Amino acid sequence: MKTDISQAGNKLLDHSTIVLFSIILITFSVLSPQFFSLQNFINVLIQASSLAIVATGMTFVLLTAGIDLSVGSIMFVAGVVSGKMVDSGTSLGVACLVVVGVGIGYGLLNAIFIYRFKVIPFIVTLATLYVGRGFGLYLSDTRAINLPENFLSIGSARLLGIPFPIIVLGVVVTVAHLVLTRTVFGRQVYAVGNHAEKARKAGLKVNRILLSVYVICGCCAAIGGLVAMAQLGAISPSFGSQSEFMAIAAAVLGGTSLFGGKGQVFPGTLIGAITIQALQSGLVIVNADPYLYPLITGSVIFLIVLIDSFRHKEQIRRRRIKKVA
Amino acid sequence: MKVNNNISLRLKRTVLTLLMAGSLLRCAPPDTGVTIGISFETLQTEYWVASIEAIKAACEDNNIQYLEAVANGDANRQFEQVNNFISRGVDGIVIAPKDAHTIIPVIKAANRAHIPIVIYNRLPAQNQGDYVTVVADNYEITKRTVRNMCELAKASGQTYQAMILIGDLGDINAVNRRKGFNDAIAEYPEVIELVAEVPTEWNQEKALAGVTNALQANPDINFIFSSSDFLFPSLVSALKNADKYHPIGHEKHVLLGGFDGDATAYQMLVNGYLDADGVQDVYYECAAAVQAILKKQQGEPVDELIIDPGFVIHQDNLDERADKMWGANISTPTP
Repeated sequence: MKTDISQAGNKLLDHSTIVLFSIILITFSVLSPQFFSLQNFINVLIQASSLAIVATGMTFVLLTAGIDLSVGSIMFVAGVVSGKMVDSGTSLGVACLVVVGVGIGYGLLNAIFIYRFKVIPFIVTLATLYVGRGFGLYLSDTRAINLPENFLSIGSARLLGIPFPIIVLGVVVTVAHLVLTRTVFGRQVYAVGNHAEKARKAGLKVNRILLSVYVICGCCAAIGGLVAMAQLGAISPSFGSQSEFMAIAAAVLGGTSLFGGKGQVFPGTLIGAITIQALQSGLVIVNADPYLYPLITGSVIFLIVLIDSFRHKEQIRRRRIKKVA
Repeated sequence: MKVNNNISLRLKRTVLTLLMAGSLLRCAPPDTGVTIGISFETLQTEYWVASIEAIKAACEDNNIQYLEAVANGDANRQFEQVNNFISRGVDGIVIAPKDAHTIIPVIKAANRAHIPIVIYNRLPAQNQGDYVTVVADNYEITKRTVRNMCELAKASGQTYQAMILIGDLGDINAVNRRKGFNDAIAEYPEVIELVAEVPTEWNQEKALAGVTNALQANPDINFIFSSSDFLFPSLVSALKNADKYHPIGHEKHVLLGGFDGDATAYQMLVNGYLDADGVQDVYYECAAAVQAILKKQQGEPVDELIIDPGFVIHQDNLDERADKMWGANISTPTP
């Protein structure tokens, strides 16, 4: 009997993302019929696209038991650079390529400090968070950059009836999922996250893998920023601020462990980002008291971390049992 | 004759030099020997940048030296920065605090060091400290702005569904603006119905998502007030996507109002998309803050609370009041 309860508890922990998502979906659908509509689902998906793309990159980093706190600053710096370029007459295509280039460069910078100078990721990315934000504020003169109309038209464009942000999201998530599940590199990422020292002894080039995940994370942050900019039509001095926390929350909610070695982009991180956005959307649609927003969002994030902690304990317990066996 | 000429020339030079020196003495303000510390919680909106620039300009006008520090939204760091000012022996502190509560230990520290302190733009929570606050009347300016919008609504003969974009609820200014909005629309129950309150936490991405969701839930929203002008790009983007962004006079025009008086709001007024905007008189507030420090230094009495009454700018008084709107002096592309 006790074993049955324990097994049920484990299953619940393993599927906590879907359970939480379903609870949010059902609750708001009961409270407001407008929530459970195709149009609202598309809206939620569009609004979640930027966060989900950034969280996809974050998943790679978290899988190696690392962290990247600089993603919001990457979004901001890349946005300011491209915004300034477009403002001064550079073509949109070139500006978009530069955005991606800035993201990769920023990720590379993080990675070099982490693996070359052996500084822990938390400290490196915390520093580059502040440096990046300061640099972006310096470049923009702490002024909002309003983007030209053609930039905004990308955000509202559709291909075969599918909104542009959803297409970009689909491409990024599919590629990331395939890389993690179907390539040698993907397996190596999990191996490093599970036990870096064992992975090194097994002959894996751990430093190169770490470098790659931070570059991927930087690239995803820049693309996520691009998607957000195309929807906003402007870059304010607070653009991207606190995105790092939401990206981490989305990845962890999707089942990625803060302790590394466990997690997936699809459906995990994607569902995590959609859940967070659905929660925000639901609160607006039911016109909840504004003071309830931080209470509810905070409680959900606390729940996520708590679940991750339980999952991690369970993971360790299972490993011990395996060893004994 | 030549000697006389030389004497005359020397005399002229002397007189000229004395006159020039005199005119210089008249032009340059007396050296006050005062140094003040300027601490800002953030510079992340145009309003804060315009404010710090105006305070520095007011210092220069009064021949005051200044030190400046920005805390990037971190109340603890701001406290440390103020302690540094105190250690360096500044004669006064002007501070734009993170919020109403975290400023209290800062006030206590300044009081212990007997350094005059002026709180800029945010009213501190109730405390026993000795300080001067210079603040815009957020409640009244918002109320007057929204009343102006309500009068326009009433004159149209239609009924309106209203939405407000709320700022960070930890910010007393955001709270007062929300209160001003609610009290103003309560005076027009037959015309205005509040259907959506969107919390933005002063974040454009959250504002965009929130407005999109609110328009999805209430497609008939046609009266919107933004608690800060810096949220306008998000608001405009969401309205465009919903085919609701049209100039005044268009049948689908949504009554729009805002607060601050920034460059985007000015352009929207000029282009005929914005109906009314509550303007904070940055130049008045900053000059008053610096003057308060000088008076305190000289032991003169100063009001504990200096209120900026602000003003409402709208289509009818745009030409007349534009030069007082700080955003009109900054160029920003039209959203």
